[in-house]
Amino acid sequence: MSTPARRRLMRDFKRLQEDPPTGVSGAPTDNNIMIWNAVIFGPHDTPFEDGTFKLTIEFTEEYPNKPPTVRFVSKMFHPNVYADGGICLDILQNRWSPTYDVSAILTSIQSLLSDPNPNSPANSMAAQLYKENRREYEKRVKACVEQSFVD
Amino acid sequence: MGDKSLKEQSMENTDVNQDELILQQQRRIEKEISESIALVGEKESLKSLEQEYAKDDIYLSKAKVLAQKYSYIRRTRPDGNCFFRAFSYAYLEKLIGNKEEYDKFRDLALKSKDNLVALGFPQFTVEDFHDTFMEVIDKVGGDTESSHMELHKLFNEQGYSDYVVVYLRLITSGQLQRDADFYQHFIEGDRTITEFCHQEVEPMYKESDHIHIIAMSSALGTGVRVRYMDRGAGTEVTAHDFPEGAIPSVHLLYRPGHYDILYP
Repeated sequence: MSTPARRRLMRDFKRLQEDPPTGVSGAPTDNNIMIWNAVIFGPHDTPFEDGTFKLTIEFTEEYPNKPPTVRFVSKMFHPNVYADGGICLDILQNRWSPTYDVSAILTSIQSLLSDPNPNSPANSMAAQLYKENRREYEKRVKACVEQSFVD
Repeated sequence: MGDKSLKEQSMENTDVNQDELILQQQRRIEKEISESIALVGEKESLKSLEQEYAKDDIYLSKAKVLAQKYSYIRRTRPDGNCFFRAFSYAYLEKLIGNKEEYDKFRDLALKSKDNLVALGFPQFTVEDFHDTFMEVIDKVGGDTESSHMELHKLFNEQGYSDYVVVYLRLITSGQLQRDADFYQHFIEGDRTITEFCHQEVEPMYKESDHIHIIAMSSALGTGVRVRYMDRGAGTEVTAHDFPEGAIPSVHLLYRPGHYDILYP
Protein backbone atom coordinates (compact mmCIF):
# COMPACT_ATOMS: atom_id res chain seq x y z
CA MET A 1 0.00 0.00 0.00
CA SER A 2 1.42 3.35 -0.96
CA THR A 3 0.83 6.24 1.42
CA PRO A 4 2.45 9.69 1.34
CA ALA A 5 4.78 8.63 4.16
CA ARG A 6 5.89 5.43 2.41
CA ARG A 7 6.27 7.16 -0.93
CA ARG A 8 8.40 9.83 0.65
CA LEU A 9 10.54 7.28 2.52
CA MET A 10 11.30 5.51 -0.77
CA ARG A 11 12.43 8.85 -2.14
CA ASP A 12 14.54 9.50 0.97
CA PHE A 13 16.19 6.09 0.59
CA LYS A 14 16.88 6.60 -3.08
CA ARG A 15 18.47 9.96 -2.37
CA LEU A 16 20.58 8.56 0.46
CA GLN A 17 21.95 5.94 -1.94
CA GLU A 18 22.53 8.26 -4.86
CA ASP A 19 23.96 11.16 -2.90
CA PRO A 20 25.25 9.79 0.40
CA PRO A 21 26.50 12.37 2.92
CA THR A 22 29.91 11.67 4.44
CA GLY A 23 30.00 9.70 7.63
CA VAL A 24 26.40 8.53 7.82
CA SER A 25 24.43 5.69 6.31
CA GLY A 26 20.93 4.34 6.68
CA ALA A 27 18.47 1.91 5.14
CA PRO A 28 14.98 0.57 5.82
CA THR A 29 14.81 -2.78 7.59
CA ASP A 30 14.07 -5.77 5.35
CA ASN A 31 10.39 -6.09 5.97
CA ASN A 32 9.30 -2.64 7.09
CA ILE A 33 10.01 0.66 5.37
CA MET A 34 8.76 2.51 8.47
CA ILE A 35 11.71 1.30 10.57
CA TRP A 36 15.26 2.11 9.51
CA ASN A 37 18.68 1.21 10.80
CA ALA A 38 21.37 3.82 10.54
CA VAL A 39 25.03 4.29 11.40
CA ILE A 40 26.82 7.52 12.24
CA PHE A 41 30.59 7.52 12.19
CA GLY A 42 32.16 9.63 14.92
CA PRO A 43 33.30 12.94 13.38
CA HIS A 44 37.03 13.60 13.01
CA ASP A 45 38.77 15.73 15.61
CA THR A 46 36.16 14.93 18.24
CA PRO A 47 36.33 12.37 21.05
CA PHE A 48 33.77 10.37 19.04
CA GLU A 49 36.27 9.82 16.20
CA ASP A 50 36.49 6.22 14.92
CA GLY A 51 33.23 5.22 16.66
CA THR A 52 30.51 3.53 14.63
CA PHE A 53 27.27 4.38 16.36
CA LYS A 54 24.13 2.51 15.47
CA LEU A 55 20.68 4.08 15.55
CA THR A 56 17.11 3.16 14.78
CA ILE A 57 14.68 5.54 13.14
CA GLU A 58 10.96 4.91 13.50
CA PHE A 59 8.56 6.74 11.22
CA THR A 60 4.80 7.08 11.49
CA GLU A 61 2.31 7.58 8.68
CA GLU A 62 2.47 11.28 9.57
CA TYR A 63 6.04 11.58 8.28
CA PRO A 64 7.23 14.04 6.93
CA ASN A 65 4.70 16.26 8.70
CA LYS A 66 5.94 14.91 12.00
CA PRO A 67 9.50 13.91 12.83
CA PRO A 68 10.48 10.27 13.28
CA THR A 69 11.69 8.88 16.61
CA VAL A 70 15.44 8.48 16.48
CA ARG A 71 17.35 6.50 19.06
CA PHE A 72 20.93 5.44 19.54
CA VAL A 73 21.19 1.69 19.91
CA SER A 74 24.89 1.90 20.68
CA LYS A 75 25.71 3.07 24.17
CA MET A 76 26.34 6.82 24.14
CA PHE A 77 27.81 9.31 26.53
CA HIS A 78 26.71 12.70 25.29
CA PRO A 79 25.04 15.72 26.95
CA ASN A 80 22.02 15.51 24.64
CA VAL A 81 21.44 11.75 24.57
CA TYR A 82 19.17 10.11 27.14
CA ALA A 83 19.93 6.84 28.89
CA ASP A 84 17.46 5.05 26.60
CA GLY A 85 19.28 6.38 23.53
CA GLY A 86 16.66 9.08 22.84
CA ILE A 87 18.07 12.29 21.41
CA CYS A 88 17.34 15.82 22.58
CA LEU A 89 17.66 17.78 19.37
CA ASP A 90 15.37 20.68 18.45
CA ILE A 91 14.85 19.64 14.85
CA LEU A 92 13.53 16.29 16.06
CA GLN A 93 11.05 18.05 18.31
CA ASN A 94 9.59 21.55 18.11
CA ARG A 95 11.73 22.79 15.23
CA TRP A 96 11.02 19.94 12.88
CA SER A 97 10.38 21.04 9.32
CA PRO A 98 8.77 18.77 6.71
CA THR A 99 11.59 19.80 4.39
CA TYR A 100 14.05 17.65 6.35
CA ASP A 101 14.72 14.17 5.04
CA VAL A 102 16.62 11.20 6.49
CA SER A 103 19.85 12.53 5.13
CA ALA A 104 19.33 15.88 6.90
CA ILE A 105 18.38 14.14 10.15
CA LEU A 106 21.50 12.00 10.21
CA THR A 107 23.85 14.84 9.37
CA SER A 108 22.25 16.99 12.10
CA ILE A 109 22.81 14.27 14.67
CA GLN A 110 26.36 13.91 13.42
CA SER A 111 27.01 17.60 14.05
CA LEU A 112 25.39 17.31 17.47
CA LEU A 113 28.21 14.87 18.32
CA SER A 114 30.76 17.55 17.43
CA ASP A 115 28.86 20.39 19.10
CA PRO A 116 26.92 19.25 22.17
CA ASN A 117 24.53 21.71 23.77
CA PRO A 118 25.24 21.36 27.51
CA ASN A 119 22.55 23.93 28.35
CA SER A 120 19.77 21.59 27.37
CA PRO A 121 21.02 18.37 28.92
CA ALA A 122 19.47 14.93 28.47
CA ASN A 123 22.36 13.43 30.41
CA SER A 124 23.23 15.86 33.19
CA MET A 125 26.42 14.00 34.11
CA ALA A 126 27.73 14.26 30.55
CA ALA A 127 26.73 17.92 30.38
CA GLN A 128 28.49 18.72 33.64
CA LEU A 129 31.67 16.91 32.66
CA TYR A 130 31.60 18.52 29.23
CA LYS A 131 31.55 21.95 30.86
CA GLU A 132 33.77 21.36 33.88
CA ASN A 133 36.03 18.43 33.29
CA ARG A 134 36.63 17.95 29.60
CA ARG A 135 39.31 15.32 30.13
CA GLU A 136 36.97 13.05 32.07
CA TYR A 137 34.24 13.67 29.49
CA GLU A 138 36.53 12.57 26.69
CA LYS A 139 37.55 9.50 28.64
CA ARG A 140 33.91 8.44 28.99
CA VAL A 141 33.22 9.11 25.34
CA LYS A 142 36.28 7.07 24.32
CA ALA A 143 34.87 4.16 26.30
CA CYS A 144 31.68 4.38 24.20
CA VAL A 145 33.76 4.51 21.02
CA GLU A 146 35.52 1.29 22.00
CA GLN A 147 32.22 -0.28 22.99
CA SER A 148 30.82 0.62 19.57
CA PHE A 149 33.36 -1.70 17.85
CA VAL A 150 32.06 -4.66 19.83
CA ASP A 151 28.31 -4.08 19.37
CA MET B 1 34.17 19.90 40.84
CA GLY B 2 36.43 17.31 42.50
CA ASP B 3 36.93 13.72 41.48
CA LYS B 4 35.44 12.41 44.69
CA SER B 5 31.97 13.85 44.30
CA LEU B 6 31.95 12.58 40.73
CA LYS B 7 32.51 9.03 41.81
CA GLU B 8 29.81 9.31 44.40
CA GLN B 9 27.29 10.17 41.75
CA SER B 10 25.65 7.35 39.90
CA MET B 11 27.60 6.29 36.84
CA GLU B 12 24.35 5.70 34.98
CA ASN B 13 22.43 8.37 33.17
CA THR B 14 19.12 8.50 35.02
CA ASP B 15 17.61 11.62 33.46
CA VAL B 16 14.04 11.03 32.37
CA ASN B 17 13.25 11.58 28.71
CA GLN B 18 10.81 14.44 29.32
CA ASP B 19 10.47 15.28 25.66
CA GLU B 20 9.04 11.89 24.97
CA LEU B 21 6.48 12.15 27.79
CA ILE B 22 5.30 15.53 26.57
CA LEU B 23 5.07 14.25 23.00
CA GLN B 24 3.04 11.24 24.11
CA GLN B 25 0.50 13.42 25.86
CA GLN B 26 0.33 15.75 22.89
CA ARG B 27 -0.35 12.79 20.58
CA ARG B 28 -3.22 11.61 22.77
CA ILE B 29 -4.90 15.03 22.63
CA GLU B 30 -4.40 15.28 18.87
CA LYS B 31 -5.90 11.84 18.39
CA GLU B 32 -9.04 12.82 20.29
CA ILE B 33 -9.49 15.93 18.17
CA SER B 34 -8.83 14.15 14.87
CA GLU B 35 -11.38 11.47 15.68
CA SER B 36 -14.15 13.97 16.41
CA ILE B 37 -13.71 16.86 13.93
CA ALA B 38 -13.31 16.65 10.13
CA LEU B 39 -10.30 18.40 8.56
CA VAL B 40 -12.79 20.55 6.67
CA GLY B 41 -16.50 20.28 7.44
CA GLU B 42 -19.67 20.88 5.44
CA LYS B 43 -21.13 24.34 4.88
CA GLU B 44 -23.44 25.20 7.79
CA SER B 45 -25.87 28.01 8.35
CA LEU B 46 -24.58 30.72 10.67
CA LYS B 47 -27.48 29.78 12.93
CA SER B 48 -25.31 26.91 14.12
CA LEU B 49 -22.98 29.46 15.66
CA GLU B 50 -25.86 31.08 17.54
CA GLN B 51 -26.91 27.67 18.84
CA GLU B 52 -23.37 27.00 19.97
CA TYR B 53 -23.47 30.15 22.11
CA ALA B 54 -27.07 29.93 23.29
CA LYS B 55 -25.90 30.28 26.89
CA ASP B 56 -23.17 32.82 26.34
CA ASP B 57 -24.52 36.37 26.04
CA ILE B 58 -21.40 38.09 24.76
CA TYR B 59 -20.68 35.54 22.03
CA LEU B 60 -24.36 35.17 21.19
CA SER B 61 -24.78 38.88 20.47
CA LYS B 62 -21.67 38.80 18.29
CA ALA B 63 -22.87 35.70 16.46
CA LYS B 64 -26.07 37.60 15.63
CA VAL B 65 -24.13 40.56 14.28
CA LEU B 66 -22.04 38.18 12.20
CA ALA B 67 -25.20 36.58 10.81
CA GLN B 68 -26.21 39.94 9.34
CA LYS B 69 -23.03 40.00 7.28
CA TYR B 70 -22.53 36.33 6.45
CA SER B 71 -24.77 33.37 5.64
CA TYR B 72 -22.62 30.30 6.07
CA ILE B 73 -19.70 28.96 8.04
CA ARG B 74 -17.46 25.99 7.26
CA ARG B 75 -15.53 24.64 10.21
CA THR B 76 -12.00 23.30 10.13
CA ARG B 77 -10.15 21.01 12.52
CA PRO B 78 -8.38 22.94 15.29
CA ASP B 79 -4.94 21.40 14.84
CA GLY B 80 -2.78 24.51 14.51
CA ASN B 81 -2.97 24.28 10.71
CA CYS B 82 -6.46 25.75 10.55
CA PHE B 83 -5.48 29.10 9.05
CA PHE B 84 -3.60 27.56 6.14
CA ARG B 85 -6.18 24.82 5.65
CA ALA B 86 -9.16 27.18 5.83
CA PHE B 87 -7.55 29.71 3.54
CA SER B 88 -6.46 27.24 0.85
CA TYR B 89 -9.83 25.50 0.82
CA ALA B 90 -11.76 28.75 0.58
CA TYR B 91 -9.44 30.22 -2.04
CA LEU B 92 -9.47 27.17 -4.31
CA GLU B 93 -13.24 27.00 -3.89
CA LYS B 94 -13.48 30.59 -5.04
CA LEU B 95 -11.21 29.93 -8.02
CA ILE B 96 -13.39 27.10 -9.29
CA GLY B 97 -15.78 29.70 -10.64
CA ASN B 98 -13.17 32.16 -11.87
CA LYS B 99 -11.08 30.89 -14.80
CA GLU B 100 -8.98 34.02 -15.13
CA GLU B 101 -7.88 34.14 -11.51
CA TYR B 102 -7.46 30.38 -11.45
CA ASP B 103 -5.02 30.50 -14.37
CA LYS B 104 -3.11 33.34 -12.74
CA PHE B 105 -2.85 31.42 -9.50
CA ARG B 106 -1.84 28.19 -11.23
CA ASP B 107 0.93 30.02 -13.01
CA LEU B 108 2.16 31.60 -9.77
CA ALA B 109 2.05 28.22 -8.00
CA LEU B 110 3.96 26.58 -10.85
CA LYS B 111 6.79 29.10 -10.63
CA SER B 112 6.89 29.19 -6.84
CA LYS B 113 9.06 26.07 -6.50
CA ASP B 114 12.02 27.56 -8.34
CA ASN B 115 11.73 30.70 -6.21
CA LEU B 116 11.90 28.63 -3.03
CA VAL B 117 14.88 26.63 -4.28
CA ALA B 118 16.61 29.89 -5.21
CA LEU B 119 16.06 31.06 -1.62
CA GLY B 120 17.93 28.00 -0.38
CA PHE B 121 15.11 25.54 0.36
CA PRO B 122 16.17 21.94 -0.33
CA GLN B 123 15.03 21.07 -3.84
CA PHE B 124 14.60 17.38 -3.09
CA THR B 125 11.94 17.80 -0.44
CA VAL B 126 10.29 20.99 -1.74
CA GLU B 127 9.66 19.17 -5.01
CA ASP B 128 7.64 16.50 -3.22
CA PHE B 129 5.25 19.03 -1.68
CA HIS B 130 5.09 21.12 -4.83
CA ASP B 131 4.08 18.11 -6.95
CA THR B 132 1.16 17.38 -4.64
CA PHE B 133 0.19 21.05 -4.44
CA MET B 134 0.02 21.25 -8.25
CA GLU B 135 -1.87 17.95 -8.39
CA VAL B 136 -4.55 19.39 -6.11
CA ILE B 137 -4.78 22.61 -8.12
CA ASP B 138 -5.11 20.65 -11.37
CA LYS B 139 -7.75 18.33 -9.97
CA VAL B 140 -10.06 21.18 -9.01
CA GLY B 141 -9.46 23.03 -12.28
CA GLY B 142 -12.80 22.51 -14.02
CA ASP B 143 -15.67 24.90 -13.55
CA THR B 144 -18.09 22.18 -12.49
CA GLU B 145 -19.91 20.73 -9.55
CA SER B 146 -17.49 17.80 -9.54
CA SER B 147 -14.61 20.20 -8.82
CA HIS B 148 -16.33 21.20 -5.60
CA MET B 149 -16.74 17.58 -4.61
CA GLU B 150 -13.16 16.79 -5.53
CA LEU B 151 -11.91 19.74 -3.47
CA HIS B 152 -13.85 18.59 -0.44
CA LYS B 153 -12.63 15.02 -0.84
CA LEU B 154 -8.96 15.99 -1.27
CA PHE B 155 -9.03 18.35 1.69
CA ASN B 156 -10.33 15.61 3.92
CA GLU B 157 -7.61 13.19 2.88
CA GLN B 158 -4.78 13.79 5.31
CA GLY B 159 -2.09 13.09 2.71
CA TYR B 160 -3.27 15.74 0.25
CA SER B 161 -4.63 18.17 2.80
CA ASP B 162 -1.49 18.31 4.91
CA TYR B 163 0.80 18.58 1.89
CA VAL B 164 -1.12 21.66 0.75
CA VAL B 165 -0.66 23.14 4.23
CA VAL B 166 3.06 22.33 4.22
CA TYR B 167 3.55 23.94 0.85
CA LEU B 168 1.71 27.11 1.89
CA ARG B 169 3.88 27.23 5.00
CA LEU B 170 6.97 27.06 2.77
CA ILE B 171 5.64 29.83 0.52
CA THR B 172 4.98 31.93 3.62
CA SER B 173 8.44 31.24 4.98
CA GLY B 174 9.94 32.14 1.61
CA GLN B 175 8.09 35.45 1.53
CA LEU B 176 9.20 36.32 5.09
CA GLN B 177 12.81 35.58 4.24
CA ARG B 178 12.70 37.42 0.94
CA ASP B 179 11.35 40.56 2.66
CA ALA B 180 13.22 39.99 5.92
CA ASP B 181 14.03 43.69 6.35
CA PHE B 182 10.33 44.55 6.47
CA TYR B 183 9.10 41.62 8.56
CA GLN B 184 11.93 41.77 11.08
CA HIS B 185 10.14 44.64 12.87
CA PHE B 186 7.19 42.40 13.71
CA ILE B 187 9.21 39.68 15.38
CA GLU B 188 9.28 39.68 19.15
CA GLY B 189 12.45 38.91 21.04
CA ASP B 190 15.81 38.80 19.32
CA ARG B 191 15.04 36.05 16.87
CA THR B 192 16.07 36.46 13.25
CA ILE B 193 13.49 35.99 10.52
CA THR B 194 15.10 32.69 9.59
CA GLU B 195 14.88 31.43 13.16
CA PHE B 196 11.27 32.57 13.35
CA CYS B 197 10.47 30.69 10.14
CA HIS B 198 12.11 27.52 11.45
CA GLN B 199 10.25 27.72 14.75
CA GLU B 200 6.86 29.21 13.93
CA VAL B 201 6.16 28.94 10.21
CA GLU B 202 7.57 25.77 8.66
CA PRO B 203 6.72 23.22 11.36
CA MET B 204 3.23 21.77 11.00
CA TYR B 205 0.66 22.40 13.73
CA LYS B 206 2.15 25.80 14.65
CA GLU B 207 -0.57 28.42 14.88
CA SER B 208 -0.65 31.39 12.55
CA ASP B 209 -0.51 35.01 13.56
CA HIS B 210 -0.92 38.27 11.62
CA ILE B 211 2.59 38.03 10.27
CA HIS B 212 1.88 34.63 8.67
CA ILE B 213 -1.31 35.95 7.09
CA ILE B 214 0.31 39.09 5.72
CA ALA B 215 3.26 37.20 4.28
CA MET B 216 1.14 34.46 2.73
CA SER B 217 -1.43 36.75 1.18
CA SER B 218 1.33 39.01 -0.20
CA ALA B 219 3.11 36.00 -1.67
CA LEU B 220 -0.06 34.80 -3.39
CA GLY B 221 -1.16 38.28 -4.42
CA THR B 222 -4.57 37.94 -2.86
CA GLY B 223 -6.50 39.38 0.07
CA VAL B 224 -7.95 37.83 3.21
CA ARG B 225 -10.55 39.38 5.51
CA VAL B 226 -10.50 38.05 9.05
CA ARG B 227 -13.45 38.66 11.37
CA TYR B 228 -12.45 38.71 15.01
CA MET B 229 -14.83 37.32 17.57
CA ASP B 230 -13.79 37.36 21.21
CA ARG B 231 -14.90 38.29 24.68
CA GLY B 232 -13.94 41.93 24.19
CA ALA B 233 -16.35 44.81 24.79
CA GLY B 234 -18.95 45.85 22.21
CA THR B 235 -21.01 43.82 19.79
CA GLU B 236 -18.89 44.45 16.70
CA VAL B 237 -17.07 41.58 14.99
CA THR B 238 -14.07 43.57 13.85
CA ALA B 239 -12.74 43.03 10.34
CA HIS B 240 -9.07 43.10 9.40
CA ASP B 241 -7.94 42.95 5.80
CA PHE B 242 -4.61 41.41 4.90
CA PRO B 243 -2.62 42.89 3.34
CA GLU B 244 -4.10 46.23 4.31
CA GLY B 245 -6.33 47.68 1.63
CA ALA B 246 -6.48 44.50 -0.46
CA ILE B 247 -9.80 43.28 -1.84
CA PRO B 248 -10.55 40.13 0.13
CA SER B 249 -11.11 36.93 -1.84
CA VAL B 250 -11.47 34.83 1.28
CA HIS B 251 -13.32 35.56 4.53
CA LEU B 252 -12.31 33.81 7.73
CA LEU B 253 -13.71 33.84 11.23
CA TYR B 254 -11.18 34.01 14.04
CA ARG B 255 -12.06 32.93 17.53
CA PRO B 256 -9.12 32.85 19.96
CA GLY B 257 -6.78 30.18 18.65
CA HIS B 258 -8.87 29.09 15.68
CA TYR B 259 -9.92 29.97 12.10
CA ASP B 260 -13.04 28.84 10.19
CA ILE B 261 -14.34 29.84 6.76
CA LEU B 262 -17.14 32.40 6.31
CA TYR B 263 -19.39 32.89 3.28
CA PRO B 264 -21.29 36.12 2.53
